[in-house]
Amino acid sequence: MNKLFPTQEVGSLAKPTWRVKGYRGAPLSKEDVAEALEWGRRLEIADKDVLVKLLTEKDSPKKRKAVLEWSAKYAIKLFEKAGLDIYYDGEQWRSEMYEHIIRNTAGFEFLGHVKSFDYRYFNKAACISKPKYVKPFYVDEFLFTKQNANGKIKVPFTGSYTLVDWTFNEYYQKKLRGKVKDFRRRKLEAKHEFLFDLINEVVRPEIRNLIDAGAEWIQIDEPAATTNPTEEEMELFVESFNATVKGFNCTFSLHNCYSNYGILAKYACKLRNCSQLTLEFANRDNQKTGVGDVRVGYKELKLFEDYGFRGKYGVGVVDVHTDFVEPPELVRDRILHVVNVVGDPSRVCASTDCGLRTRTWEVAFQKLKNLVQGAEMARKALK
Amino acid sequence: MIGCYVTGILPRTKELVELTRAYERGKADERELEKAFEDATLKAINAQSSAGLTYITDGMLKWQDLLRPFTENLAGVKAGSLSRWFNNNTFYRKPVIVDEIKREKSIIQNSSYIKLLPRNIPWKAILPAPYTFAQLSENQFYKSSEELMFKYAKILNEEIKSLAKLGFKYVQLSDPALVYKPFNQCVSKDKINAVSEALKAAVDGVQIKTCLQTFFGDFCKILPEALDFPIDHLGIDLYETDLNKLKDYHFDKGIALGLVDARNSLVEEVENLIESVKEIVESLHGSRQKDIFVCPNCDLEFLPWERAQEKMHAVGSVAKRLREELNE
Repeated sequence: MNKLFPTQEVGSLAKPTWRVKGYRGAPLSKEDVAEALEWGRRLEIADKDVLVKLLTEKDSPKKRKAVLEWSAKYAIKLFEKAGLDIYYDGEQWRSEMYEHIIRNTAGFEFLGHVKSFDYRYFNKAACISKPKYVKPFYVDEFLFTKQNANGKIKVPFTGSYTLVDWTFNEYYQKKLRGKVKDFRRRKLEAKHEFLFDLINEVVRPEIRNLIDAGAEWIQIDEPAATTNPTEEEMELFVESFNATVKGFNCTFSLHNCYSNYGILAKYACKLRNCSQLTLEFANRDNQKTGVGDVRVGYKELKLFEDYGFRGKYGVGVVDVHTDFVEPPELVRDRILHVVNVVGDPSRVCASTDCGLRTRTWEVAFQKLKNLVQGAEMARKALK
Repeated sequence: MIGCYVTGILPRTKELVELTRAYERGKADERELEKAFEDATLKAINAQSSAGLTYITDGMLKWQDLLRPFTENLAGVKAGSLSRWFNNNTFYRKPVIVDEIKREKSIIQNSSYIKLLPRNIPWKAILPAPYTFAQLSENQFYKSSEELMFKYAKILNEEIKSLAKLGFKYVQLSDPALVYKPFNQCVSKDKINAVSEALKAAVDGVQIKTCLQTFFGDFCKILPEALDFPIDHLGIDLYETDLNKLKDYHFDKGIALGLVDARNSLVEEVENLIESVKEIVESLHGSRQKDIFVCPNCDLEFLPWERAQEKMHAVGSVAKRLREELNE
């Protein structure tokens, strides 16, 4: 992409009520249908009446599939209407970033809900046999997106290190039971074996299939990258990324957020074939305009430079955890500040902090429009 | 004695998980929530007694995190932002110290189901240790984290004494921050002396048994100083500790061995554990007759309820076998 500051989102978008209920086979209210119609109008979706008719049909596997396609189509249109350069389908086909892969891969069993915090829980799986690739889990949604999107496509892919970190490792620990006596060593060895089996048996075959289907850019999502901030674990994370992407003719980037960037910065320069680091900064920043000291949220970006990362940065200039809609001037100043830190404007992409799934479509749409406008203002300012 | 117990918050039962989620969505009321907590607490208590545990807790199901009862009930403390709970995919609310901290009411009594505890098994209480409380707080009031640690230690002392009056026979102070040193740092001599002084203030005049339970890190990082801590028992996370190094030390105190991994759902085989525990006890205690406790390495709340139940059974079985083999 030749233009400076290409604009991108990071993956997820909220699922409209008609998507959630429609896919579950639950009855839709008048308001749900009206919402589909209203957004269809705003996004200028010519055949939106076909969707409305579909939503009134009886539940069937065919209808469910069509509902997924429609919500992906809407999400793609929303990104295009906002004016983004790089996007996907809002992850409308996926239940959730972890469950989607685990449910579609053999070797795992969901054990139930464990506490995340307060009254929030997550469904956690155990690996109970060697992970096995049974069917593509991203290829269909990718092909659909390719058919329906006009811009550049970036496929979000949940990284293996995170999948392993969020899963109970039963199978490999059991395998080493009589063999490795030391509890700690056994745990580490079992993790290592699990991680690389998952990469070789599941992740790489899917990447192969995505590339064969025409994917040119895959974003590896690793929210757990710095969960275990020891040297040993960080090296393991780097090794897992490098093993994942090795030898493929495709663009790869890494997305990590709400994490310890002091640690990540130290290891990011060791990532091979990582063309972009997509990082969350807006959430750490204030809402005042200006460049320089006022941009407190972007302090840690310099660490990545100091430690020698030389790829591009997808810098989060839009916070996904607040309904505050960043004015274009704020977006502009965040970008210009980053240009000052990095030195080379061609290494800067304007991004959201993370996926927008926790925002309403209304807020997400406004935020993305301002992201696009702010990037344009930054381009003008640099001229 | 050879005993066994749990070392932290137990997971909520499936029914309680569902009800708390419904409550969050406004689909269940306070009364239903309270009833669900009581039912699950009874289950947690029964599970511990049927596993043969020698001390019992109420399961701490209401505790949103280890610090929360203090965060919410101490004057001078406010609940802050969500922060990662060590290297887990779990989060806690940072206590923000905004004023002089004061204990104006009983902390644990308000967050526990003491009335449901059975009379025939001794009770155990679990509280955050001074160092961990100070480290995990955001201190906006005291001059140093150390000053906060000592202030909290005094409050802890009042709390422990009031628990003893209520009938508790054992108190565990949880101190993960003391050993969680991801980049191989050791705790400095000065700091460890301060920790020891704070512990002394916390248990001063306390008549019931005390244990400093460490987890998420290598116990060797606080050796040999920890051997002289003014505490009866020392708790070790065997899944994070360098066993070879540990075996170089002799313990004059009782030990609580975190033999069962609360962060993995695979249930340990008793046979395997017996062998390991005998070796460890032999190295640490030699021929000295000291208290030995078998326990999970940390809070079982990282597991779904059914697995936690099986793990408690493993803990009870290992202790039973050990008593038989060591002829107690």
